[in-house]
Parts: sequence; structure tokens; C-alpha cells
Amino acid sequence: MKSKRKSREPSMPAGSGEYRQGIRQADEVITKNGIEILADNWQQLALDWFAPREPDRSALARYITANRDQIGVAWAREILRLQVFFGVPDYKRIVEHYDRAFRSYPRCALIEMWVAGYITRTSGDFWRARQMYWNAATELPSFAKPHYELGFMNYLLGDFPGAVERFNQAVTLVAANDAELGSRIFYNRGLVRMALEEDKQAAIADVEEALRRKPDYAQAKETLRALKGKHKWVPW
Amino acid sequence: MVNDSPRIEIRTRSYPTHASAERSALMEFEFAVNAPGGKDAPSMAEIAWSTGDIRKALADVPPIVPPQVRREFQRLLQPWHPGRYVESYRRSGGILNLFTPPWGEKQDESWNNLLAEWKARTFADDRSRRVALAELEQQWNNTPHPFFAGLTPAQVMIGGGPQEAKLADEFLAHMEQTLAKQTFEGEGDGLVKTLLLLRGWQVEPQPNGQTPMQIILAERSGLLVRRAHSLSETH
Repeated sequence: MKSKRKSREPSMPAGSGEYRQGIRQADEVITKNGIEILADNWQQLALDWFAPREPDRSALARYITANRDQIGVAWAREILRLQVFFGVPDYKRIVEHYDRAFRSYPRCALIEMWVAGYITRTSGDFWRARQMYWNAATELPSFAKPHYELGFMNYLLGDFPGAVERFNQAVTLVAANDAELGSRIFYNRGLVRMALEEDKQAAIADVEEALRRKPDYAQAKETLRALKGKHKWVPW
Repeated sequence: MVNDSPRIEIRTRSYPTHASAERSALMEFEFAVNAPGGKDAPSMAEIAWSTGDIRKALADVPPIVPPQVRREFQRLLQPWHPGRYVESYRRSGGILNLFTPPWGEKQDESWNNLLAEWKARTFADDRSRRVALAELEQQWNNTPHPFFAGLTPAQVMIGGGPQEAKLADEFLAHMEQTLAKQTFEGEGDGLVKTLLLLRGWQVEPQPNGQTPMQIILAERSGLLVRRAHSLSETH
């Protein structure tokens, strides 16, 4: 998911009135931040708000350059609103806003990559999310996240060999300083290796690597204790 | 005194999605056609394989069974298409596939990749082109499919047996107990958590040392062998 969860807000029921209310709230947040989206700053604002860090920033910059004649101030407003919804985060509102606001613009693999997880978690439209991750894996070949997400989906489908294959690809691509994603890739690869081959040593090595990258990873600590213990390890 | 008359059992269960609830009914029908008819008595499927007569297979189905269930039994007992088992998209896939969101040929990356390779190849003539396609279809039928949780389409077609029926019952009870008190962000969140529970459960060894996945695969493979044996005796 794009942002860590902050305080929970009550979910907004479906309906265009509620959607408009959400948009008004998002616009208030944007205004409170002193933002005015203009013809000479929309690109910068989109980059600063939605993709402040690499490699996302370069990917979004490439998209803007390639589609400059089809996007502009209105598109930037939508992407800032989307980022506000990510910040809450309200799963349903993210998906609804994406579906309503971005369908008239050229598809953006970076935005798809961040929205797909919310689609999975809200409607459970697994195959749609999977296609979005496929697009991201193809169009953003240096990104580890789409491979990680596809690996996770393969695991959910019961395709353990396919999951390990994707996690292996993610391992080769993940940045050393991306502790959050890196730790999750290693942790999940360890679990699937255990499920697939009962390879306890490989699983321990992966979970230890996850903890090296993120020492406060509570779930990994617990799993490591279980893997090293005498009792049969149960992965759930 | 033992009352042998048919009984109606009513069970309520919660499922994370409407599709999985519907599929659970189909899974139960598949278990039913493979269930032994009694001590040493053949299952409905075995009668259909050995006689080729679906009416005979359904002869002992009690009259109380609703027509739509009877039609489902008839569909499940139909002879299999000799080519690709496309019908497997419309089978439940058993407990390992109960919660997988519905999919078909459009999403089938395995088949679409095989087909794309076949289309890209050049053949001496139309006959060899057709033969190559038929080989691919058989390859697809008998290769573990990533979207069938590692079952082959043939193993999906055959349906689950009594051991899987018992395991499915155990898992569904365990699922209800584990997930009943949890809250979910949406239907998808509930689905993901259910699938995580299932994938963990399927590799957890049972008292006999085998995992549910191993038991299910072995039972379905055994049913396929019995089917092949019955069919070879019939024809």
C-alpha cells in the first residue's frame, strides 16, 4: 500500500453525493496546504505530492512527458486528491476516485501499481488487480513492487512455485534502502519456500534477512522463533 | 431401530464472497457423485463410467433431491470432451480452489501462452498443425495449473472424494472459528485473509504425516486411475 495507515475514518457509503463530499474534503486539505494548481506548476505539484521519491518520481516524470498533450491542471488536481485519499487511507474512496477520475486519461502504470492493492482489498477484483500489476511489471521493469505483489497473488492462488519465482525477481530489483518492501519480500519468500519445499534453512535465512532490513518486524521475529524452535512450525 | 430413510441436513456456513458460497455447493455435488453408494457399492460416477448410462447412475438418487441438483449431477456425469477440458473452468476445483475468484479462458495465462507458441510455429501442413494443437491440449489437461492451486485440469474435472470432503469440512469449520470475530476493510480483505488461512492449512501435516494438499492430490489421482480403468473395461 502506498501509505502507512493513520487514524481510521468511518467508511463512506457508496453514492455520488458521498463521493462529492469526499472530493470537497480532499480539496480542503489541498487548500489548507496552500496549494494552488496552475498551468505553470501542475507537473511539479504532481511529482512532489504523488511521487516525492525515486524511482517513482522518474516514472511519473516519464509519464507526464509522454502524455503532456492529454493531461494538465485537471489531471494534477485528480492526482493530488488521490494522494489525499491515500493519506487517510480510505480504501473505497481511493478505488472510487481512481475509477471515476482517471478513466479519461492515458493509463499510468505507476498509479495502477499503487491503486491495485486497494482494488484487491475492497472489491476482491483479483484479476483486475493482477492485470494492473502485470502492466506495472512490464512497463516499470526496474521496480520490485509489481513482482512482489504478483508473487503474493500467486501464493494466494496456491501457485507456490510461481510465487517463489516472482519473489526471486523482486529480490534482485529491490533497493537496499527500501526496508519496508525488502523485508516483506524476504519474509514472504521464506514462508513460501517452507510451504513448497519444507526448506527450513532457506526459510530461516530469508526471515533473518527480513529482520536485518527491518529489525522491528514483529511478525518476522515471531516466525523466526517458531522456525528455530523444536515444535512443528505452523505458518498461520 | 435404525431409520434408513433419506435425511435432510441443514447447515449454515459463512463465506467471504458470494462466488465462493455458490462454488461450495458445486464442490458438495462433486463430492456426492464420487461418494461410494454404500458398503462396496460403486459411486454414481463409477456407475456412469462403467455403464455409460447416466440414468442408471442417478437411479438411487432419492426423489426428494430437487431437479436443479439432479441436473447438476447429470452435468457432472457427462462424458468428458476428448480435447481440452474446457469444462474444468466450470468445476469447483475442490477446497483448494473454493475461494479463488472466478476465472476462465480470458485469464488463463498457461493456455494463452501455449496457444501463442503454437500460433507462432510453422507447420508442414494442416494435419501436423492440428496434431500439434491436440498435443498441447493434452499437455494442458495433465499439467498442474497455477490457477487451480497446482491441480491439473484433469484432477479438477474428476472432483473430490470422501477424504477431501472430510478435509473440506474441517477447514470450513476452522475458517469460521478463526475469521468470525475479525473485521475486514471490504469483501476483498476478507477473501485475502481466508486465502492466507487456506494456504497455510493445506501444507500443515495431518496426524498421518501427509498434508491436506498431498491427500487431495493422491485421492484425485486415484479417482482418475479408477475412471481410466472403468472406461477401458467398458470400451
